Amino acid sequence: MPIVRFPALMKFYVDNQSEFPVEAATVAELLDALIERYPALKPHLFEPTGKLRRHFNIFVNGEHVRELNGLDTPLEADDKVILMVSAAGG
Amino acid sequence: MLPELSHEEILRYSRHLLIPEVGLEGQRKLKASSILVIGTGGLGSPVSLYLAAAGVGRIGLVDFDVVDTSNLQRQVIHGRSTVGKLKVESARARMLDLNPSIQIDIYNEPFTSANAMQIAKDYDVVVDGTDNFPTRYLSNDVCVLLGKPNVYGSIFRFDGQLSVFDARQGPCYRCLFPEPPPAGLVPSCAEGGVLGVLPGTIGTLQATEALKVLLGVGEPMIGKLLLYNALDMSFDFVKLKKNPKCRICGPNADIKELIDYEEFCGVPGHDHGDEGSAGAGWDISATELAELLRASFVLSEVEGQRTSSALSAKLILLDVREPHELEISALPNAVNIPLGQLAGRLSELDSAEEMVVLCKGGTRSARALELLVSAGFKKVKNLKGGINAWAREVDKSLPIY
Repeated sequence: MPIVRFPALMKFYVDNQSEFPVEAATVAELLDALIERYPALKPHLFEPTGKLRRHFNIFVNGEHVRELNGLDTPLEADDKVILMVSAAGG
Repeated sequence: MLPELSHEEILRYSRHLLIPEVGLEGQRKLKASSILVIGTGGLGSPVSLYLAAAGVGRIGLVDFDVVDTSNLQRQVIHGRSTVGKLKVESARARMLDLNPSIQIDIYNEPFTSANAMQIAKDYDVVVDGTDNFPTRYLSNDVCVLLGKPNVYGSIFRFDGQLSVFDARQGPCYRCLFPEPPPAGLVPSCAEGGVLGVLPGTIGTLQATEALKVLLGVGEPMIGKLLLYNALDMSFDFVKLKKNPKCRICGPNADIKELIDYEEFCGVPGHDHGDEGSAGAGWDISATELAELLRASFVLSEVEGQRTSSALSAKLILLDVREPHELEISALPNAVNIPLGQLAGRLSELDSAEEMVVLCKGGTRSARALELLVSAGFKKVKNLKGGINAWAREVDKSLPIY
């Protein structure tokens, strides 16, 4: 199963886990599965219109999904998906 | 022509001169170089200290804050003796103590669209060590417009990010984050906290990258982003490319000059975290709340109601901090629903009751209030300045954090 990694800013919504496996064949399926398991995530990931929020970045095995196939990027077992969010702290 | 080094400088920098990648020529390059450090807080502290020690000839410091005791857990350039003093002056004194042979220019003012280009134009490299989104977008845009590298670092709790944004050769901050998060969605360090060592880790990496850029050695983190997690000691590197839709460095860029960054981000250009206000008409001060509680308590006594729950019968205190924060300070009879859970737990609250919402400094509670109002609550107020204001103005037995 692909592994998803969460930033500290969002761990709160996923039972304080940094990473865990999610059964999904694409990035979109992975996001759907996450929201099904943790509904409070939805407003953080998506705008009310359903578009992925633009302070979010998703990387699959170190590549930005923008450079791959966007949310349709296929996932395989052991793929590492990083959800990354902007943080301003300094 | 690079400046010569004095004998004293040769001795001071001898460990640099021994490294072939630096050597005499590299050290003279550093002496001829200049770096602007934006923010002298958590990141700015190690960045400024190490750049001063390394012999960067001219270092600019921008900050308009004063040193506070709560800074000293991580802002190691300052000390107990400079609490209450200007951060830029505190930092300059410490840096000159470390290395009197460099020049330090201080700008005791907010970094804004009005002064940023003027301040930054004469520096070779900018290091972004600010604590808020408006200044991060501003620093980025200034660097893109002036064609300078921007050494980026950010921190939260146990997580750090690092990159070098240089739009001449790679992506910029806007390529990665075209828009800031909606106001309030992402907590700041003043609200969420940060491990004191974390800015040390990320700040020293920023200083390293800045020196590499100045020396022209190694591979600076251009087009790469580091995601560091101190808890599991993981360093994830991801690739970044230019975003073809980038509004400032893309082929169809429409941002040609600096904009209003506070408006763009919907939040103020600082992170004091202790002056949270919900806006006119929605705030209640700590002393006003004390009056209100006294009045409702007396009223309940007169009516002969249950005095122990008198407060909750007349006025609900809703504390939206995390449970572990209530161990530091709390108001009796307050209901605790952390902000992150509030949307899902509205059914536990009665919109007919009068309610005062509070947190540490008034920022999270102001957001909670927005949420409550949008859900139809009308009799709600925000405790301005949070429980810290209550500790300052009403109950001095409570600690301020």
